[in-house]
Amino acid sequence: MVNLWNLIILDPMLNGLVALASSLPEEIGVGLAIIILTVIVRLALLPLTLRQLSSTKSLQSMQPKIKELQKKYGRNKQKLQQEMAKIYKEAGVNPAGCVWPMLVQFPIWIALYQSVIRTLATAPENLLDLAQHLYSWEIVNSAIPLNSYFLGLDLGQQGSASGIGGLVLAILVGGTMWVQQKMTTAPSTDPKQRSQSSMMLLMMPLMFGMFALMFPCGLALYWLISNAIGVVTQYFIGGGWGYLLPASTTQPYDKAR
Amino acid sequence: MGGQSKPQGFSGVVSSDGILYLGSTDGKIMAIDPSARDQDLSFPSSSSGEWPFTFTLPSRGTLCGSSSVPVVMYGKPVTSNGMVCVGIYNGKVLMLNPLIRSQNLPFPQAKDGEWTYPRTDDTIEPIVGSPVIANDTVYVCSSDSRIYALDMAYGDEKWRSAPLDGKLWTTPLVDGATVYVATFDGHIYALSASDGSLLPWVFEAEVGFVSAPVLYGSTIFAGSFDRNLYAVKVGHDKPLWEFAGGNWFWAAPVVDGDIVYAGCLDGKLYAINGRSGGELWEFDAGSSIVSSPAMAGDLLVVTCESGDVYLVNAQTGDGRRINNPDDPQNTERPSIDASIKGHICVQDGIAYICAQNNYLYAVDIARGKISWKFSLEIE
Repeated sequence: MVNLWNLIILDPMLNGLVALASSLPEEIGVGLAIIILTVIVRLALLPLTLRQLSSTKSLQSMQPKIKELQKKYGRNKQKLQQEMAKIYKEAGVNPAGCVWPMLVQFPIWIALYQSVIRTLATAPENLLDLAQHLYSWEIVNSAIPLNSYFLGLDLGQQGSASGIGGLVLAILVGGTMWVQQKMTTAPSTDPKQRSQSSMMLLMMPLMFGMFALMFPCGLALYWLISNAIGVVTQYFIGGGWGYLLPASTTQPYDKAR
Repeated sequence: MGGQSKPQGFSGVVSSDGILYLGSTDGKIMAIDPSARDQDLSFPSSSSGEWPFTFTLPSRGTLCGSSSVPVVMYGKPVTSNGMVCVGIYNGKVLMLNPLIRSQNLPFPQAKDGEWTYPRTDDTIEPIVGSPVIANDTVYVCSSDSRIYALDMAYGDEKWRSAPLDGKLWTTPLVDGATVYVATFDGHIYALSASDGSLLPWVFEAEVGFVSAPVLYGSTIFAGSFDRNLYAVKVGHDKPLWEFAGGNWFWAAPVVDGDIVYAGCLDGKLYAINGRSGGELWEFDAGSSIVSSPAMAGDLLVVTCESGDVYLVNAQTGDGRRINNPDDPQNTERPSIDASIKGHICVQDGIAYICAQNNYLYAVDIARGKISWKFSLEIE
């Protein structure tokens, strides 16, 4: 299973990343290659992302109806399920439709993550491991070991050991993740739910900000670019800043209606 | 999700005056008496000069605050004039006096020749290769692209080279008044051993060098990231020959007369004609060969990442595998139940192997058997 994963997904992506870095100016090669590969992968997965966003949006637009049903059939779970299935069918919405595009994208994201982290090979063990994944292409072997510096930052070094640059990167990772989440998180009228979603809205960005300090900066760069692409995609597909700006909090519902 | 693992190190074993010195994978530097281990005496045995030594460094980071971290070692220890020197990945060079370490006195005891470089809590960039001692000087390469020359007696810095290109993860090669170093950016530089200045000759390859260079006569042998082993005559611009392997030649080759024995990450040991670069024979070990083979008479002890240990005839390339002592009939089970990456040491017909499970193994070469193993995890 591991061999199959390496053969089909990881190795092509890893070698692609190294070859890309090799064909770019050495001083910025790895960083730029991470950015370009992240953009390519996100673009390749755009149809799935669009489907996911569309499903999520449809589900959000149906929330008022779902709440009405919950009020009406709150005690009769079976009836509630039946009625919900009915309105989903009428609207042509599959509740799982926002999940499976995300699941399909996961292996690609993991491969990209592994490619970035393996390519940066900071310790001898990592370099030995990298040797087992590289093709015999000249463009790949001539690039090893990659110059891991990008804009003054050692992408192979932990964010926490990279001084102010690592800290800024971590803040940007957390910040862009917060923006992306905020754009899609509908404010709830229920105080309890609102408190929960506010907590979630903070937890994930904080967690990834911490990860950005704990992991090599190259990975943080990948998260940053990935988040930024997510924000741009959301902006254009979702029709603006969504729930990010207070004035727009009711827009998606209103539009849906 | 996989990816980069925390550095564990793979230092290996050396011997001096009947004592083995090694770096364990849990960050200890140890002196081990093989005869005491053969008799299964308690460690450290009182009269044999055995000791474990733990050196820790304060950790640094914007978040973690202060705590201590154990050392990680990739280079093998080196011995000279009764002293033991190690370069550690954490960025320090340590000089130890075995007599003092066996008394477990605080480190370093300057009056007994012990020191650290740098002296303070400061560190230099990671040291991956082994130090080399010559001319009462310790030469060591660092990831900051420099070679450092340190006074052996006091640890004072004699000189540090100007930064060469790329990280220096290699072991320097000292030949009289010249220090040679092979770099990740594909150069073999020659420096003055007395002041570190660059000498006129430099060899430039298109791809970086991965293995430590080895000098035999006037020829330097070194493995490159382009999967070739290079033979370069000192003073020449073109390689004498290039030998293509199936992956990198990570381990430094071993040269015996006209034959170069080179272990490769493609799992093969190649015997190469040192003059022509032609292949004499190859032996397939089945898994990446990370450490250099060790010569034991007309046999070569070859270890690989899978944990297998082979005894290979140096003339014919015929080899036989050492069976696992816990399961001698099972030919599928690796000789040792752990990866082997560290330097092998052969002494008095016994090969000593430090595996990644933090055990030291003694292989009786004549009998083709593992005679004992010893856990290096000592409290």
